[in-house]
Amino acid sequence: MFVNWKRFILILATGAVAGLLWNAASGRGFALGRSVLVQAGDEIVAAADAKALLDRGALFVDARPRDFWRMSRIPGALPLPDEEFDRAFAEIEARLRRANGIVVYCSGFGCEASHLVARKLRERGLIAAILNEGIPAWEDAGFPMDSEPRS
Amino acid sequence: MRALASHPRVELLLRLLVGGFFVYASLDKIWSPAAFAKIVYQWQVVGPVPSNLVAATLPWVELLAGLLLLAGIWKRESALVVALMLVVFIVAAGSVMARGIDVENCGCVSVAKADTGSWPPAWTKGVGWFLVSRNLVLLGVALAIAFLPTDKPASPPPSR
Repeated sequence: MFVNWKRFILILATGAVAGLLWNAASGRGFALGRSVLVQAGDEIVAAADAKALLDRGALFVDARPRDFWRMSRIPGALPLPDEEFDRAFAEIEARLRRANGIVVYCSGFGCEASHLVARKLRERGLIAAILNEGIPAWEDAGFPMDSEPRS
Repeated sequence: MRALASHPRVELLLRLLVGGFFVYASLDKIWSPAAFAKIVYQWQVVGPVPSNLVAATLPWVELLAGLLLLAGIWKRESALVVALMLVVFIVAAGSVMARGIDVENCGCVSVAKADTGSWPPAWTKGVGWFLVSRNLVLLGVALAIAFLPTDKPASPPPSR
């Protein structure tokens, strides 16, 4: 019944310190100061910069599953779901190669699809920026969504 | 119920159960911290950098509290640490469910992609009622270890 709160805090603190040491020294750790989804070569743009690119005629591509794109999308965005990349890429490759800049987005900071799609585009010689923190960041910045259902 | 949980052998069994579960649950996450961080992101409870700190530290707290429970050292305090984590997990799962976020693999015991293999079944891996129910049971056990008095084993009769 008697709980020693110093021991309670000590367990939490020791575990946390061990975790930070392991992350720093084990060789299996990762950079704590930025998103773990970002890799060398990824170009990340904030919502305001992405909007400026859109206004200058950049092509937006939606890396989420196609059903999400059907429900709503950033205006003008084309579907390029990571899970069916090859097929979707073949459909829109000509437009991608003509585009005056490409921005890829998905559903938020927890979503890896925009990073994966941008890397697949890079493998095919196309440079695409990744919208930082995806649609929530876009909406938080006050930019519009196109919610007209598509088939 | 109270008397049963206070029985030394029952208490030992409960400690082995909860401690063993937490040790087991920590190992995959400790081995693959970046993969675990990606799963923490999917919960979308806190932003990327706080999620990174959770991913780096939480599995080690699980491991330490689990080992202490198994060993019976500072068992009330380690059971309370486990209880605190379970409360956080339950609240976070409720938040994920309320917001309608689909997390295929909760990252509770494994960081493997959800679509690898058919066992265990998907409903045991995602964030949903199974997870919340399991955590409520574990929480009850952890609180019992933390707060119920343990009967002393009967002392042997004095030798003549």
